[in-house]
Order: sequence, then structure tokens, then C-alpha cells
Amino acid sequence: MIVVIAIDALEYNLVEKFNYKNLKQEKYGKTDISEFSQPRTMVLWSSFMTGENKENEILALGDKKMWNYQIDIKDTFFSKFKNPKVIDLPGFSYDLDEHKKERELLKAFFEAKTQEEKEKIKKEYNQRSLEHHKKIKNEFEKAIKGEHDFVLGYFSAIDVIGHLNFGNKILMKMLYKDMDELAKKVRTLGYPVLILSDHGMKAIGNFGDHSEYGFWSVNFETNLKNPKITDFKNLILDVMKEKDKEFK
Amino acid sequence: MEERLKIVIVGHVDHGKSTLIGRLLYDTDSLPESKLKEIKEFCEALGKDVEFGYVLDHLEEERKQGVTIDTTQTFFKTKKREYVIIDAPGHVEFLKNMITGASHAEAAILIVDAEEGVKEQTKRHAYILGMLGLKQVIVVINKMDLVDYKKERFEEVKKEIIEFLKSLNIEPKYIIPISAKEGDFIAKKTEKLNWFDGPTVLEALDGFSKSDELDKKPLRFPVQDVYNFDKRIIAGRIASGIITEGDEIIVFPSKEVTKVKSIEEYNKILKEASAGKSIGIITEDKVFVDRGDVITKKGEPAPIVTDTIKGHVFWMDPTPFKEGERVLFKCATQEVMCDIEVKRVIDSSNLEVLSEDATTIENRQVADVIIKTEKPIVVENFNDIPSLGRFVLQREDTCAGGIITGFGE
Repeated sequence: MIVVIAIDALEYNLVEKFNYKNLKQEKYGKTDISEFSQPRTMVLWSSFMTGENKENEILALGDKKMWNYQIDIKDTFFSKFKNPKVIDLPGFSYDLDEHKKERELLKAFFEAKTQEEKEKIKKEYNQRSLEHHKKIKNEFEKAIKGEHDFVLGYFSAIDVIGHLNFGNKILMKMLYKDMDELAKKVRTLGYPVLILSDHGMKAIGNFGDHSEYGFWSVNFETNLKNPKITDFKNLILDVMKEKDKEFK
Repeated sequence: MEERLKIVIVGHVDHGKSTLIGRLLYDTDSLPESKLKEIKEFCEALGKDVEFGYVLDHLEEERKQGVTIDTTQTFFKTKKREYVIIDAPGHVEFLKNMITGASHAEAAILIVDAEEGVKEQTKRHAYILGMLGLKQVIVVINKMDLVDYKKERFEEVKKEIIEFLKSLNIEPKYIIPISAKEGDFIAKKTEKLNWFDGPTVLEALDGFSKSDELDKKPLRFPVQDVYNFDKRIIAGRIASGIITEGDEIIVFPSKEVTKVKSIEEYNKILKEASAGKSIGIITEDKVFVDRGDVITKKGEPAPIVTDTIKGHVFWMDPTPFKEGERVLFKCATQEVMCDIEVKRVIDSSNLEVLSEDATTIENRQVADVIIKTEKPIVVENFNDIPSLGRFVLQREDTCAGGIITGFGE
């Protein structure tokens, strides 16, 4: 089995600051996403799973429609595996309703007129995101104990909660720690593990906006330096080939 | 002013220092309710127990934003007194602050993980406590929840730490099994540790005394200046003890004896003054007295007058010290040139012993030294009377701070 922990907006500088060793693993760094005009979640994950820059295609759909974009498994490297499990990944197995509700709450927050109203929305927004986070975590933990040869879990809470709470370093630290603990659990199983983010996050006052690089780390030998998000397709396939001589 | 005891919490990085501090603050209601609520809610939403380490993160954030005035100290209160936890972010800062007097802990808690036992860092931190001569030490064996609160495991770790501390001449006053995470034996005794009949951490702390009850100690009045107006005023700040009008006093090192005629403080006449006060005194006889002398009281224990002291120095000058160089020794108001013999040298960043018989001290190194002063000086052990037990060494600028731990060869 190969395991990918896909974490939306995991910020390189915060991983460094909190020094979470399970997130850093044996080798870690920033990814180069400078080929993209903007660090957009849907664009980056789609490019990751296909190994191709999907920016033009996805941006052409417009802001609203792009979230419904779904790539067929045969166009992704997941199809190379016999029994892959890909949980909640944007552009593939994304929980459209759930994430739509989160985006609506985010919009409502910025449109709210009073502070009281904003606080109420923020609370609901945070809680909702954490509930979803717990659900995905459960599903992911079950999957890595199962019979799959590839498991990818996509975790959005750091991005979703970060947008409204990036200035609250305690909340951010709690979330990073939670992901570090999850990474620890996965790492003890002994499989090759890739931890990858689409982009990071930077502070805009107390809010958070996407930063112009992502984060990656692995627990195996690799010569990767300053990789692009499209490079991970081949990295994963190469590792699999090395593990399983019959893998094509 | 309410009594305040300064404590420092040391131990291996993963043995639960932050959690213990967070728990101490939580159990003594020293935290802002709203923040705690947010932390609790978030932990619950993540399906976790409340982690008290986050409380410290919150305080850290507040400091950065300038919400709390004090930048390095954290407070909590019991029925008996107020406590200040002195921050020890790393060895270098801790040693530097303790030695140079930026902070002076009066008691220490050494934390050891029940599962992991004594680790290298535990030993290094304990070594600092020994070096600083801290006597009021509590050892807490933390994370008892992870070893099912087993008495046998507690006894094993206890034995291990006692043996090690013995080699450093530290005899802890209490060794307490705790779980900072679960709140066992921090503020309350819990059923899970019903086999332990000792105090909780807070009870143990309350059992300590303030080491700097300086006015109960013998009078030490280092002379800052002598002013000859229409009357001759001897000015200074009382380092310890109490001076009273009519007292028979001895001037050191000359040992001339006279009586206190009057005591003044800013155009105010006082009958007596105690440690910490800046005052001027007028004596009955015109004894010879000068800046650097130390006035004591007849009938009280005499100070130590010596030209040879043992101590530890923290070097903070990029230019290293080499044996043979003479530097200025300053203690209270005394200034005298000195020679230094270097013994053991330690790297303050990792507390590694670099040499047992060094001849140089480099920047950020801590050294055991023997200092020979050009003429006798009046000093005290650092733990008895800090202001006469602490010194600085100076070239053109201050190059080191130090504490006195012994006298003579």
C-alpha cells in the first residue's frame, strides 16, 4: 500500500514553526506551483492526480462550476492501482454538498453586517468543518487498515478553518497537531507515505489566504528537489514499481 | 504586597512541562474564561481531551500581541501566596538569566516522564539546579496515567532520579506522582493515586518558604557613596537585614565600630529600615568609610572577607577569556581587579562538559572558576544574600556574570 495524506493549505512555515516531526517525515520541503497563475485548490489537485497542468481547463469553467468538475479515474494515476481508495479529493471524490455549504457560510460571514452575526456564523462554520474532518478521519483510518493498494485522504479543515481563523494560532496549532498525530498513526504502519498540500496559507489580518507554494514530505528515499505538484504522479508510480515488480 | 514565590519548571522537553504549567494555571483559576472555553470547544470538536499545553500557547500569543505586560513571567495564586513561573525557554537563556540576576528562582519543579524515566535532558537540567544551589526542589513523576498509576513504576523512577540527584548534592523535598493531563495530585488528591500519601504539587509549593526573607538575615549595607554636606551621609541600598537608629555597626573590611545616629530616606527621618531600601545613615563617630565598604551589625554573624572565591560564570563577550588576563570584579558596590583560574567549562546550549580543566572561556560558556581578588572583599554565598553573592566581570564593558558558591582555596 502507498498512502497519501492530502492536506489543503498545509503551510510550510507553520510546520517548521510548530516543528511537527511526523508531518515533516524524513524528507520535506516546499513545492513549486509558480506555473499556475493563482493557487487554486481545484486546479492544483486536478493537476496532481493527472500529472498535467489543468489550470486553463478548470478556470474556463468559472468560479461556481469548477467545484463540480470531476475527473474520470482512467484519466488519473489512481487507475494504475488494483484497489485504490481516494477519499473526498476535489475533482475526484469530493463531497460536493458539504463543501458547498462551507463556502456558503464563508460568504455569509463576509456579508454579515454585525459582529454578533459574524461570530455566530464563524462558530457554525468551524463546527461544521470539524465535524466533516472527523468523518473523513474515521473513513481514512478504516481504509489504511483495509485491503487497498493505494489510499488517499483529503483533509480540508486546515484550509477551511484557516480562512477565518488564521490569526488564531492556537486553533491552527491544534489542527496541525491533529494532522501530525494522524501522520504518526499512518507512519507506524510501515507503508510509503506522501504528505502533500496544494498550497500553503498566509495571514491577511486575522484571516488566511493561499500562499504561493505548497508542502511535501515523504518517509522514503527520493532525489526530488523543489518538485512541482505534477511530479508526484511519477514519484508514486515509481515507488509502487519498486515495491511490486508486477506493477505496471 | 502579597507574598510571591518565584519558581522554575525544568525537565526533558517531552515530559510535560507545558501541560503542567497549563494545569497549574487551570486548577488555580488563573486563566481567562473565554479563551479556555474556546480551547475546550475546539478540543471537544476534534474529539480530544482538553490539552493544557495550549493554554501556554495562548499566553505566548498574548505576550506577542502585548496584551500581558510582563514578557517572561506567568502567575498563579493559591490561598497562601502568589507564584511566578519563570520562563526557561532554553538552557542558554535560563542559565544567563539565573546567573546574571535577570531572574532568580527560589524553588524548582523537575519533571520526569513516568514511562520514559530519567533522560539526558533531565540530568542536564538537574545539573543546573545543583549548580545554582537551589534547595527547594520538587520532583514530579508525570504521566502516571500512561503507566496505569502503578506504584511500582513510580518507585522505580523515583529510585533512579534520587540516585542521580544525590550525585549532584540535591535532595528533593518532595517526589510526587502526578498526571498533569488528568489533573491528578496537582491541586487535588485523586483516587487513582490513593496509594500515595504525600502532598499535591500545590501543597508542596505552599510548604516552601521564601528564600529571600532578607530582612530576617544579618545586616549587610554596601556603601554606594559618602556625601559630605553639613553632615556626613553614608548612602546605599540595604542588601539584607534591618538597620535601626542606635545600632552598633561595624564597617568592613576595616572593622571600625560606631553607632547609627540617624537614618534618612528622601528628607524623611526613619527609625529603622530593612532590606531593599535605599537610605542614608549618619554615624556618631567619623569613622573611615568609602564606596565599596559593607556595613554590618555588631552581634550578628560577620560577613565573609576573603580574596579567594569559588563560583560559576556565564561568559557573554565574543572575545574569549584566557587565563592570565586580569579583569575587573564587581560585587555590590565593590570593584577590584582579579585573576581567574578556570576549572570545568560547559557549553550553555546543550550543557555538555567541554573540559574539566580549561584555560579559556568562550562566549556563552559557563565555567566553574576560582577568582583571586587584588584585595579582600566582603561577599556571601549566592543563596544566602544574592546581592553580595552575585558579581560581574568587566573589561571595557561587562563580559560575564557570575555567582559565588564557595570561599577560599
